[in-house]
Amino acid sequence: MTNVVEVSGLTKRFGSVQAVDDVTFSVAENKIYGLLGRNGAGKTTLMQLLTGQDFATSGSIEVFGQSPVENAKVLQNISFIKESQRYPEDFRAKHVFRSAPWFFANWDAEFAERLIEDFRLPLDRRIKKLSRGQVSSIGVIVGLASRAPLTFFDEPYLGLDAVARSIFYDRLLEDYAEHPRTVILSTHLIDEVSNLLEHVLVIDQGRIIIDEDAETLRGSATTVVGTSAAVDAFVGGRQVLHRDGIGGLASVTIAGLDQKERSAAIAAGLELTPVSLQQLIIRRTNTSEKEFEVSA
Amino acid sequence: MTTTTVAGHAPATPLQRILNVVRLHFTNPWTTIVLPWMILGIIFVASLAVWWIIFANLPSDADRADAADGLQYSGGINYIFVYMMVVAIQAISITFPFAQGYGVTRRDYYLGSSLAFVLLAAMYSIGLTILSLIEELTHGWGFGGQMFTPVYFGDNWMQRLFVFFVTFLFFFFVGAAIATVWVRWKATGVTAFFIVLGVILIGAAALLTFTSSWAVIGNFFAGAGLLGSFAWSLVLTAIAAITGFFVLRRATPRAA
Repeated sequence: MTNVVEVSGLTKRFGSVQAVDDVTFSVAENKIYGLLGRNGAGKTTLMQLLTGQDFATSGSIEVFGQSPVENAKVLQNISFIKESQRYPEDFRAKHVFRSAPWFFANWDAEFAERLIEDFRLPLDRRIKKLSRGQVSSIGVIVGLASRAPLTFFDEPYLGLDAVARSIFYDRLLEDYAEHPRTVILSTHLIDEVSNLLEHVLVIDQGRIIIDEDAETLRGSATTVVGTSAAVDAFVGGRQVLHRDGIGGLASVTIAGLDQKERSAAIAAGLELTPVSLQQLIIRRTNTSEKEFEVSA
Repeated sequence: MTTTTVAGHAPATPLQRILNVVRLHFTNPWTTIVLPWMILGIIFVASLAVWWIIFANLPSDADRADAADGLQYSGGINYIFVYMMVVAIQAISITFPFAQGYGVTRRDYYLGSSLAFVLLAAMYSIGLTILSLIEELTHGWGFGGQMFTPVYFGDNWMQRLFVFFVTFLFFFFVGAAIATVWVRWKATGVTAFFIVLGVILIGAAALLTFTSSWAVIGNFFAGAGLLGSFAWSLVLTAIAAITGFFVLRRATPRAA
């Protein structure tokens, strides 16, 4: 397995704010990564650092084996259209698609045209006059059709409706199957992209709190539902991630169970339900917040 | 586990990358080329109408010569120089964050933008020079009017070409420098920049006044002559261009 990104001890400070705090991780080639976290967690800053758009306060970043800062060799293999991407004042969508191929060697014009139809994007209208969703779809099309070996999508679908979002997921998966590349997708619509992701990075208050294979992560917690007494007896001294209770019933989320433990739970008359990625991350983020408060 | 070296497609040469940025600036030629010529055309038509009115109401040759004397100080095209400063500011402040999304380095972006400005300066100065030649050949478009041949742009077309060109360069690169300050430090930076500039200019004026040295400045320009004075602007242009480069090298495409 080869890595396209190696980050170690990376810190970015804005004044007194620690936007990225001593982060170390790597990104393997030709996988789809989810970079998840709450607003202001440091997702965009981290991606700006990886793409040489911002400068690290300390630590090291290697992308394709080299520092990305002012490095054309690295940067021409990267596509990064931000959520808040600004387009030149007088541009229409057609100007974006006319100029993009000059900068992306793998640009596929046919694919771009198909996407333009899928998203029903008006090419001849000034970008200023487009709706928020239409502007987002421009970024999505550029990100997909550029087929850059390392592609970043930063909250790509602000204002996109559910149909357009599902078109995006479908096209991304189809094209990724034919043209494998590394994709880093940042979003807070976690459940929507859950099936797309192969690896999950969760960032919270500038720190990576989860760096795990998506499959492993999904199996890492289970919710046990049953009568309070039975649930408590089963849970015992295990770490509880979350607890809900109504009357005599309880629903407790605990760390993943192996086959034997599952059988034991079922024998005890308990019901086991999987935990969605989103719930899991919410639980884990809360945990880290509490820990943070304690240590602060 | 190994780390890949830069793989993928054949990398573009440095020159190609810079030329791509030039093309990016001309992707939509409306603001940089079409609109300025249109405004110039409108000013020209309006001037033509004024010249015609003057010409038609001055029957004697002596009166007409008198009027022509006044018309040689025309400022009809001066707007275009200032407009190009605005074009440079807009071009950089808006295409910089965009180009960063396209994976363009700051270095390539600045060099490409500079080349685009030099090309624009060349296009506009050649265009204005050609118009000034037509103006001479037609004796002021038939009415003794002067829009492209004001006295302070030189005596012949070669001088005018030079004066137009260096003036355009000056405004483009001062605009570029201001834009890089904006891109890097936003409104705070631009405000600070103009305060510092104001202090320097007032300080210089005070110094010259208190030491009674204004004559030195006058003598300098008199000694340099028209062309020499314009040539000296290249020093300021170069300072602006180099400053812009270093300011942009550490700029980030953050939202305003």
